Amino acid sequence: MNKGPTYTEAFNELQQIVSDMEQGDITVDELTEKIKRAIQLIKICRTKLSTVEEDVQKILRELESHES
Amino acid sequence: MPEISGNRTIFTLLEVLTGIKTVLTEHLSETFWIKAEMTRLHFYPQSGHCYPELVEKRSGKIIAQIKANLWKDDYLRIDQKFRQVLKEPLREGISILMQAKISFDPVYGLALRILDIDPSYSLGELEREKRETIEKLRKEGIFDANKRMKFPLLPQRIAIISVETSKGYADFIKVIDQNPWGYRFFHMLFPALLQGERAVETILGQLSRIRSVVQHFDVVTLIRGGGGEVGLSCYNDYGLTRAIALFPLPVLTGIGHATNETVTEMIAHRNAITPTELADFLIQQFHNCAVPLNDSQKKITDQTRRLILADRQKLMHITKYFRSVAMHMISRNRISLEIQSEGIIKQPIQLIHNSTTALTNIIKSVSILSPANVLKRGYSITYLNGKSIRAIGNLATGDQVETIISDGTFSSTVQKISKQKPYE
Repeated sequence: MNKGPTYTEAFNELQQIVSDMEQGDITVDELTEKIKRAIQLIKICRTKLSTVEEDVQKILRELESHES
Repeated sequence: MPEISGNRTIFTLLEVLTGIKTVLTEHLSETFWIKAEMTRLHFYPQSGHCYPELVEKRSGKIIAQIKANLWKDDYLRIDQKFRQVLKEPLREGISILMQAKISFDPVYGLALRILDIDPSYSLGELEREKRETIEKLRKEGIFDANKRMKFPLLPQRIAIISVETSKGYADFIKVIDQNPWGYRFFHMLFPALLQGERAVETILGQLSRIRSVVQHFDVVTLIRGGGGEVGLSCYNDYGLTRAIALFPLPVLTGIGHATNETVTEMIAHRNAITPTELADFLIQQFHNCAVPLNDSQKKITDQTRRLILADRQKLMHITKYFRSVAMHMISRNRISLEIQSEGIIKQPIQLIHNSTTALTNIIKSVSILSPANVLKRGYSITYLNGKSIRAIGNLATGDQVETIISDGTFSSTVQKISKQKPYE
């Protein structure tokens, strides 16, 4: 159901890129790739803030199967 | 009057029971203070009267019990006092200290007629129960169990235990669903009674349902509101608080009252005074996520700009340095070339000059050393048999020798030889 990194994973990876950049661990050669990845991660995180994938009906069915 | 039949006196039931009533009223007419547990209240809404069941237990066993009457006016007055002092209505399942008298009715039998109940005694009992719950949880080491749980970074999926029609639930849903930042929450209601006698049982039931689908949720919220400040002693129940403490998700409470914090609120992962405050807290968690996201974006932009600028400056610096080094090298080589080419022209002349001087000196020395010049300075050469004499040992007395000087020659005979060196 849930493909790709979780919010926490994406956020932590993003923080790593930022901290690498701040400490000057990223060279101009790597920069393009890193920025691309960072933008992707920010997008993932933003999307996660504004969407949820749970379904009440599905949970209710699960509850019924537990209770029967 | 009893009827006499043969040798028997026969009473009617009413006569006997009236007799009992007379005895009881004559001998037990005063009021008593009695402590007991009220297991049932039996309130009849139509009449407004209550018919409580009172028991005394020892080691869990009932050792005394009796029915009681609590008439409408007394009930209303006592219930009012309870709500004021205990923040609880008069309810079953509590220990009470009551003022009562024996009542006997031929139809309804023996009962205690409750005239008054002291709420401060029940309050003490409730407080004691609360303290006991706290002590038990502490002893088991689970008082902080729910608080110690790691709170999810994004508390997005919420299992709500509440009453669908309550104001607290409506407030909570409104705040999280209509937040202006577009944060999306998923929430599902697990309806339960949130105050009074059946609260413990229904809340426990819903906790167990949530537990069976726990992977779909991040947090549990317990929301009440609009129900006034009575009937909250259920939140001090040991069984309920234990279930909350050990629940596999953080439990957040918004029970919404201002007085005495209940044990449930103490042990919950977080307690908010009102459902709205709880909703705000959850939104704040989203802010806490969104803000560093924006920060990250800004930092990345800034750092990229800085990195490119720094590299450009480095490049410029290197270019400048290279140019300066190159210029310097060219100039140095030019000078060295000039010096060398000058040398190439100058050196042969010097060489010739030096050679000429050396030659002149040699010629000079050679002419100084020529025999004619030497002889002119007073020196002479002596020959023996045509060879110049260089050592005294070559001579013997009587040898005929010939000497040349600058302007002539002469012969002589050796008369005496001395081996004494003239300049020593």
